Amino acid sequence: MDIRVELTPHPIPLARPLPKELTGTAGAIAEFQGIVRAQEAGREIGALEYEAYSAMAEPMIRRICQELAAGGDCQFVSVTHRIGVVSVGEAAIHVVVASRHRAAAFALLTGFMDRLKQDVPIWKARALDTAGRPIAPAP
Amino acid sequence: MRILFFAHLKDITGCAQTDLAADNIDTPELWRRLIATYPGLAPQQSQVRLARNCDFATADTHFYSGDEVALIPPVSGG
Repeated sequence: MDIRVELTPHPIPLARPLPKELTGTAGAIAEFQGIVRAQEAGREIGALEYEAYSAMAEPMIRRICQELAAGGDCQFVSVTHRIGVVSVGEAAIHVVVASRHRAAAFALLTGFMDRLKQDVPIWKARALDTAGRPIAPAP
Repeated sequence: MRILFFAHLKDITGCAQTDLAADNIDTPELWRRLIATYPGLAPQQSQVRLARNCDFATADTHFYSGDEVALIPPVSGG
């Protein structure tokens, strides 16, 4: 299976073409974007700053995708996660899964997001207000 | 061994990384030495996982002088 992982400080291009090899074989493409909301822990924010332990996060994402895809008919997974400052309304994560049939794509997508939020060393390091100033942690 | 701190643990320790002179120590001993240097880590211990050379440590893991050890607080990606 083709697995692509990227941690990037740049905005995620959401309309990237899929590999040509999928044409005619992939019957389902499931896509997820996690968007930064204007409220975090009940407070108004302008952005979130993400931090990653990249040396561990990238291979772990790849390993999770391999585990979840084992025995299924997924053909392609792309995971892109932002690091650094991500403004409200921007995507912090973009996941694309292609498979022959939809059930495998949906299962890998939801399974991956669950594992990401349990095990992958990426953090919302701090919230920033609309002027870009750090917001003190809630008491 | 090199010790890495992430997220709010950087605020607690005041640094992103430090070097610890130790070899072949187990998890309780590593925590004992870390807390001796950074007492603010003590309340975090129950929620923080350790990683040795980019793999989560287990109860049996030992840590060696050339290792990269990361303290992994609860993650929040996505």
